[in-house]
Amino acid sequence: MFESLNDPVDVLTAFVDGSMRPIRFRWQGRIVRVRRITGQWARREGQAQLRYFAVQGSKDDSYELCFDARGPSWVLCRAWTGPG
Amino acid sequence: MILLVDMDAFFASVEQAHHPHLRGKAIIVCGDPSRRGVVTAASYEARPFGVRAGMPLAEAKRLCPHAEYVEGNPRKYVEKSLELLEMFLELTPDVEPFSVDEAFLDLRKLPGRGQTRDSAVEIASELQQRIWDVHGLGASIGIGPNKLIAKMASGVKKPRGITPLSEEEFRGVFWPQDVQALWGVGPKLAEHLKALGIATVGSLANAPGDMLKRRFGVVGEHLREAAWGHDQTPVIPYHEGIDPKSMGHEVTLPEDCRDPEFLEGTLLRLSDQVARRLRGDGFRGRTVTVKLRDFRFRTVTRQRALATAVDDYAGLFEVARALWRENWKGEPLRLLGVSVSALEHADEEQLELFPTNERSKALQDALDQVRDKLGEASVVPAGSLAYRRAMGHVPFGAVRSGGAPERTERKGREVPRASKRERGGYAEGPDPSAPDPTQFKPRGPREREP
Repeated sequence: MFESLNDPVDVLTAFVDGSMRPIRFRWQGRIVRVRRITGQWARREGQAQLRYFAVQGSKDDSYELCFDARGPSWVLCRAWTGPG
Repeated sequence: MILLVDMDAFFASVEQAHHPHLRGKAIIVCGDPSRRGVVTAASYEARPFGVRAGMPLAEAKRLCPHAEYVEGNPRKYVEKSLELLEMFLELTPDVEPFSVDEAFLDLRKLPGRGQTRDSAVEIASELQQRIWDVHGLGASIGIGPNKLIAKMASGVKKPRGITPLSEEEFRGVFWPQDVQALWGVGPKLAEHLKALGIATVGSLANAPGDMLKRRFGVVGEHLREAAWGHDQTPVIPYHEGIDPKSMGHEVTLPEDCRDPEFLEGTLLRLSDQVARRLRGDGFRGRTVTVKLRDFRFRTVTRQRALATAVDDYAGLFEVARALWRENWKGEPLRLLGVSVSALEHADEEQLELFPTNERSKALQDALDQVRDKLGEASVVPAGSLAYRRAMGHVPFGAVRSGGAPERTERKGREVPRASKRERGGYAEGPDPSAPDPTQFKPRGPREREP
């Protein structure tokens, strides 16, 4: 099941050719390497735009991260914690 | 030829595409899985267990306990829908989005392609493959000489089907089917038709035109034509835009509720959301409708036409509350909805019975500006806070002293209760992070009920 977290996380981020992508992030004392970005979407909050990334970790783990340019800051919105 | 591209189990498929470990598994998209609500979408793996969109979550959990329950994210699906729209527009400019997961594509003006059935099937096949390759999503495509046939053909073979039908083939497939299979015939209309002895699409096609006209007016004629597979409705390209016919929001309450304060707060919240959407899209509306569903799933909708079109939450709420008070008998309610129809453009001149209250208008404009800048929940009607708190949308405690929301036992049902201070004017607060379940309503087939 997915666990809703909304945990602030440190994310190593690449900005290449006008686009950005999370590379790896620190969560619960470990480093999660982003193996694949499987989806992206955005949401407006007033004038601010929040950018969301669905990513796969090094194993079969799955996460959703949100980048808020106002910080700038990253939040881990939810994580797959195994079958519910 | 016209194509209707219908994305297969769209919301569930987007979740499976974003989270590959969910592929091939029964997944159910819903609101917060820990709360009460309804199934928004079920993957094809969950459907053999009887799970359907709109079904109460508790029933879905009983039918398919091993499914994964995923909280839906409307913004995610809208974004994907727009990406698909861009893909369709690369093929033809004549694309009419019909809902978040359906679009008509008119191939008739494509140079050298799309006019014949074989060519349309070839295009559909390429498009279906491209959608899969680029987005990892399945689509079923109906092909027909008009929108009606394309739409109905899209449902013949799912998932990932391609179904071309001529008018004659349409009659062969649909005439033996229940009259409710016809696009635009809902359960109530089907009931009326069956009472007249019209049980199948074929019997509707062969019913006396005079009788249908007498009984259903112009709709009767349209229905008979539709049963023959005739439809002259044009594909209205995306860039030309289609004005909405109504705007509304509804919500399943966290638990059956008969607390008038809480229900009123919910109506206020819904009225505010609808009014904000009206203003955002530049519309006003003259007819306000309230929908009440009780704990026995009995649904009542009541509407009232207004002398003057409205786009402010207070005007809307006043009517919605009056309708609710007149029609609520005190039974526990499960769902509330507010919608506005008979829409007109806000920039059109309006002869008003009473002069506009300039102060209210100025206040509304100022509040809109705050929300445009800081987000929807930066300023909300204070009377809606009880509802927002119950839904976990109020992350601040400044309005009430004492921390946790007050809860009260009333007639055996525990519901959050608004303080008097919360019931007047606006309150401030940061944006909630939770998705708004009331934003979650894909548009269904156009109603043609009389």
